[in-house]
Amino acid sequence: MGNAGPVDILRGISLSVGRGETVGLTGPSGSGKSSLLMLMGGLERATSGRVAALGRDLGPMDEDALARFRRDHMGVVFQSFHLIPTMTAIENVATPLELAGAPDAFARAEAELAAVGLGHRSGHYPAQMSGGEQQRVALARAAVTRPEILLADEPTGNLDGSTGQAIMDLLFGLRDRHGATLVLVTHAPELAERCDRVIRIEDGLLAA
Amino acid sequence: MNVAWRIARRELRGGLTGFRVFLACLALGVAAIAAVGSVRESIEAGISEQGAVILGGDASVELTYRRASEADLAYLKSIADEVGEVIDFRSMATLPDGSDRALTQVKAVDGAWPIYGEAVLDPAIPLDQALGNQDGLPGAVLDPLLIDRLELSIGDTVRLGTQDFRVSAALVRAPDSAGGGFDFGPPTLVLTEALAGSGLISEGTLFDSEYRLRLPPGSDLAALKSATETAMEGSAPRWRDARDGAPGVSEFVDRLGSFLVLVGLAGLAVGGVGISAAVRAYLETKTEVIATLKTLGASRRTIMATYAIQIGVLTAIGLVAGLILGALIPLVAGPIITANLPIPADIAIRPGPLAEAALYGIIAAALFTLWPLARSENIRAAALFRDASLGAEGWPRPFWIVVTLALAALLVGTAALFSGMAEIALWSAFGIVVAFVLLVSAGRATRALSRRLARSGLARGRPSLRMALASVGGPGNEAASVVLSLGLGLSVLAAVGQVDNNLRGAIARDLPDIAPSFFVVDIQPDQIDPIRERVETDPAVSRMDAAPMLRGIITRINDRPAREVAGDHWVVTGDRGITYAADLPPRTKITEGDWWAEDYDGPPQISFVAEEAAEIGLSIGDTMTINILGREITATLASFRDVDFSSAAMNFTITMNPSALAGAPHSWLATIYAEPEAEAELLRDISRTYPNITMISVRDAIGRATDLMGTIAAAITYGALITLATGGVVLIGAAAAGVRARTYEAAILKTLGASRARILANFALRSAILGAAAGIVAVFAGGMAGWAVSTFVMRTSFVFEPVSAIAIVSGGIALTLAANLAFSLRPLAARPAQVLRARE
Repeated sequence: MGNAGPVDILRGISLSVGRGETVGLTGPSGSGKSSLLMLMGGLERATSGRVAALGRDLGPMDEDALARFRRDHMGVVFQSFHLIPTMTAIENVATPLELAGAPDAFARAEAELAAVGLGHRSGHYPAQMSGGEQQRVALARAAVTRPEILLADEPTGNLDGSTGQAIMDLLFGLRDRHGATLVLVTHAPELAERCDRVIRIEDGLLAA
Repeated sequence: MNVAWRIARRELRGGLTGFRVFLACLALGVAAIAAVGSVRESIEAGISEQGAVILGGDASVELTYRRASEADLAYLKSIADEVGEVIDFRSMATLPDGSDRALTQVKAVDGAWPIYGEAVLDPAIPLDQALGNQDGLPGAVLDPLLIDRLELSIGDTVRLGTQDFRVSAALVRAPDSAGGGFDFGPPTLVLTEALAGSGLISEGTLFDSEYRLRLPPGSDLAALKSATETAMEGSAPRWRDARDGAPGVSEFVDRLGSFLVLVGLAGLAVGGVGISAAVRAYLETKTEVIATLKTLGASRRTIMATYAIQIGVLTAIGLVAGLILGALIPLVAGPIITANLPIPADIAIRPGPLAEAALYGIIAAALFTLWPLARSENIRAAALFRDASLGAEGWPRPFWIVVTLALAALLVGTAALFSGMAEIALWSAFGIVVAFVLLVSAGRATRALSRRLARSGLARGRPSLRMALASVGGPGNEAASVVLSLGLGLSVLAAVGQVDNNLRGAIARDLPDIAPSFFVVDIQPDQIDPIRERVETDPAVSRMDAAPMLRGIITRINDRPAREVAGDHWVVTGDRGITYAADLPPRTKITEGDWWAEDYDGPPQISFVAEEAAEIGLSIGDTMTINILGREITATLASFRDVDFSSAAMNFTITMNPSALAGAPHSWLATIYAEPEAEAELLRDISRTYPNITMISVRDAIGRATDLMGTIAAAITYGALITLATGGVVLIGAAAAGVRARTYEAAILKTLGASRARILANFALRSAILGAAAGIVAVFAGGMAGWAVSTFVMRTSFVFEPVSAIAIVSGGIALTLAANLAFSLRPLAARPAQVLRARE
């Protein structure tokens, strides 16, 4: 925090997302949209107020309980992919299944990689893949557990236009196939438009 | 260069945070070498300053088996201001009722002793009072160990031979105690005149007499030495003088010190791994700076100079820290060191060893930083515009490879020169290089194996294990650097453990089969038959060998001086045991020539040891002149025999026909092979009946030798621990450098649903895998080294010793676990959102 003192990033937000709904969060840089997404995923804690997912209050859960909750119900995609650099593509995708104790983790991971068009790159490390390929691996990793909730934080922010388009097609395709709830943070209005509902955040407040 | 210096100065403003490991590794290596060298020089200085005290005089003339003749004594008195006589022999100290006895080294002195220094007695009474007659008994001063062993008190009576003595004091310290060689028992000090009635110093008994001389100031020691050797030629005198008061001790200290410096160099080599890694990591963070400088027009040379200056400044800081530490350690540990040494040490700051350590440090720092530094030349300006693959990758220019090899050669050459043991230094360097190659290969193999296992069925369904294996097998250098840094120190420890255990094991294993229980010396001719009868009727005794024993010096071979023919061969450098026999003794094999007839009484003949005969170049028919108690006997070599000295059985270099030695006074030597449980009774019985003879328990003697080995092993272990500590620093450096990567990984895993316990298990497992790999490689390398040392140097059999091996592997695991887990707590506590968003 430093000497600047704490800053309230989000203030007085009340938001409810229905099961199976797709929601686009937009707003200028620093408006708090990524912070809101992190709160929804239990990756960040609210200093006050209540965050609930699938009917369960995330507030009282400790860090391990939150991790288990994400393992069983959520998939998260980041702007910078965040693949584990010491693991190959297939190992990255299989990890959440393994954490959940799935006996067929690798078979399912292989199928998921194939579904995002990367069946032939399963043995490659992240550093050996392009940005677009890395993000496809990250998508496969988020979707492989068939989560009820998909959280995506500017998934095309680090990619060029056409690659970004392909990633979005994949993301929405995965959501449509499995019927998950999708919350998507994006700068691009045309991407947000593909969601059922678009919410704009400005200066930590809901604008629309 | 000015530009480079200015840029370097600006870059160094960032502080030394990234260089803690660099500085610690260099300082530790230099400090270890400096400290060992300083202690060694302090001991040597102590010996040379105190040479006369340790020797017991300005010079000493030693005779074997006899006291100086009137003529010899007159000569010695003519060259010295004062002459003192010390008679030295083994005997048994016995309680008057015969209930207990112990081996002792008797030093019989006259009123002149000690010529230099003071004896420390407890109680602190004057020496002449302690040794003089009181209540009709002469006094004796006993080593405290002997007093404890026989449960004596001051005022009690103890018997040597047939003479009783009053125990008047304990001998806490004799000024000349360090100069002698290996003693069989703790010393007892008495007056020579008091031994007259003991029956111990008679013709044929084994004793040394030593004449300590106080010489006029300014005497020419070298000239006196040759004059004495000429004047007393017939008595075969051995001259020593204060120029080197304790040759055995100083040689031992010198050897051990040099060896420890070599171990210190191994530590510096391990530190080199850390130094190299630190420089590499630093330059990696500077890729952009270097690329920018190149864009702005800096030449390769300027950039190289910029970073070489920075490394140079850091090296200087590390060196100074190491030298200060290395100079202080001996001063701080001085009281402990001097208390544990039998010789005086003049602990002080010693510039010579400090300079030597600094030289090693400079060469090692240059050697290990050059490679990453030279690779930075490969960074291209385009690195700014494309990804980092244009950074410091690949091999340096051939010029730098040649310079690196030259530096390595310089380091090895310097070590060879300074250690004074060129061959051992070269072998050690070779060993370190082999160990390096082995450990680097092992690091790579560990990585490949882990990658394979991560994908195998073993890891399926065990996510922590799979993730740990994937991490060890994945990109990055952790496996190689951990196995290398930890492996070298553990390898030295493993080798010491294997050699030490094998040596002790070999003694315990082989002793009962091959070695006798006792050597019995000073048996008078009329005692040998009754002893043989007593021993051979004892069912616990399996064998007794006995032979007449004389001592003599080979003076001439084929009528030329023996030293001229045989050089410094051990056979001609001192007095040798000589025996005679009519029949070929059992277990003896003639390899050449013929044994004399049983009743042969012609000109003297000799049967000589075959191996030594071959070494000197003797042939059957050669003549040999032997001085026995001043009488010269010239004999012809009639046969050569095979002798195995390693069995500790009774062996003689020279055997003569009986008539050749007829009339020469002699005693008998016997070896007795008995069941271990019968040894105590046998010792008690024989030495009670024959108080003049001395029984040396081979088990005890070997035990003392083993203890000496243990001391050496302990010294080397301390050296290895320094190497291990340096390895630990490298390990901690690597673990600290990995914090960022682990924090990131922990954040991702938490996002994917991993609990903290699982993440910790993943981190712990990968440390354990790396530690175990380092330990296993070390056990393998140490086992190989142990086998080589046991087989080729110690010439004992080798059995792999599992307990120390398990300890080494466990130690490796524990060290890596400790280093890594300490640096896992922060990654584990970090909030995933903060970590991941910081990377967006």
